[in-house]
Amino acid sequence: MISTGPFFLDQIFFIVFPYVAVIIFLLVSIRRYRTEAFTFSSLSSQFLENQHHFWGLVPFHFGIITVLAGHLIAFLIPREVLAWNSHPLRLYILEGSAFVAALLTMVGLVSIITRRLTDPKVKKVTSWADWIVFASFVIQILSGLYVAVFHSWGSSWFASLATPYLWSLVTLNPDIKFVTAMPWMVKLHIVSAWLMIAFAPFTRLVHILVVPNPYLWRKPQVVRWYAAWKSLRKV
Amino acid sequence: MSASIYSRSLQFWMTVTVAILSGILVPDVLSQEAVDFFRQNCISCHTIGGGRLTGPDLKDVSKRAEREWLTKFIIDPRGVVESGDRYANQLKEEARGVVMPPFPGMTPQRAQALLDLIDAESKLEKSQFQGVKISERPFTAEDVILGKKIFTGAVSLKNGGTSCIACHSVQGLGGFGGGGLAPDLTTVMERYGGRKTLSTWLTAPATPTMQSLFKEHPIDAEEVLPLVAYFQNTLQRNPEDPSTARLNFVLVGLGGTLLMLAMFDIIWNKRLKTVRRALVREKRMEAVHE
Repeated sequence: MISTGPFFLDQIFFIVFPYVAVIIFLLVSIRRYRTEAFTFSSLSSQFLENQHHFWGLVPFHFGIITVLAGHLIAFLIPREVLAWNSHPLRLYILEGSAFVAALLTMVGLVSIITRRLTDPKVKKVTSWADWIVFASFVIQILSGLYVAVFHSWGSSWFASLATPYLWSLVTLNPDIKFVTAMPWMVKLHIVSAWLMIAFAPFTRLVHILVVPNPYLWRKPQVVRWYAAWKSLRKV
Repeated sequence: MSASIYSRSLQFWMTVTVAILSGILVPDVLSQEAVDFFRQNCISCHTIGGGRLTGPDLKDVSKRAEREWLTKFIIDPRGVVESGDRYANQLKEEARGVVMPPFPGMTPQRAQALLDLIDAESKLEKSQFQGVKISERPFTAEDVILGKKIFTGAVSLKNGGTSCIACHSVQGLGGFGGGGLAPDLTTVMERYGGRKTLSTWLTAPATPTMQSLFKEHPIDAEEVLPLVAYFQNTLQRNPEDPSTARLNFVLVGLGGTLLMLAMFDIIWNKRLKTVRRALVREKRMEAVHE
């Protein structure tokens, strides 16, 4: 199925990567849930520091949930999205809101990273996997913001180009003609998404699978977690 | 023994079947596939005996270049141009710098089938690929207005294609302008060399992304005309400098973000900062008053 020639790399990035990523995601998630169920969480560090935490946690999660929902909606009901976008004003409102959500994600992420670097207790409980998560989010959100500004209007062309590409993967009949001629920043955004999916089950991102939905509206509460952080007691 | 005879006779009949299939059926399938392929991918830029469009007239192309070279070029046009090949670069110059897009799934066999088709069509007095018939009626003001509506999506494309504004901009759209994924189309009419070439191109757009969008949702001839009328109209404008529209978009986004952050602060006004710290503050106040 994979052929050499001008599309060789595209086939690796847009056919091999997604399938490998999804397989790794499923297998490792299941294995981790069955063998290390207690690590299946966001490993909250709110207990260690909660002032700075708010400005990371809240903008990041509202931003990322909105942005991901946007991608999912364009994937599930592309025709409706295009119909909404058929008036420029409505297109601008949708794109503007999505852009605000992406900026909120970025504000949250910067805040999270600063907190991890500056608070000694929080820094101590930050693992190498966390740093990979943060780095991949930086790449993902910066490339997304760049695409939103310089390769607009993504809400329309995602529905027309990315959606058929993604469905071709779902139906096991991969067709990369929709993405081969994309600008490299768009390609980076897609490839880095596959890498994040592959890496997610090794990280705190697994909490997405066990998220209690009342998070979004319940009152704030303190979360504690226990692990053998002997080194932490010295801080 | 009988099993061996059975297997031999099976082998014999299978050989015969394969021979018949490969002798009769496969060339037919290939040539029909080549005809379909040519119609979907080539006619936007090439004719056979109808004169040059964006790309050269392909009549007797096999007499102008070696088959081996042609096959290599069809599979990876940009690769051949970038290798410094003289003829390929001459072709690029003649096409005003446009290089033929590559086609995913193109194989030497398919390229050969295409060349066979072109050779066969070249021998005909009147090839079926002499060129798409393009209306020559003069553009009206209504055409331009309808063209703009089709461009922005206010009038949807009949066959379900995506509106131009999703990826393209032109000067003078207003608001945040059109899309930035693909080139600005203000002067596209000039770039593509006029009404006939652009109209033909739009009936079967052949760049990879345009093709993946419009192959199954072609732009109707009655939509091509107003669109081209609109692009002729935009020719008088200067290509848009997109940075102002982009800056406005970013500024609006930043404003919205600040607003949301302020809202979070208000909504979660009673977050944990008000538990312990408030108690401490209260105690201190009490101490002061005592």
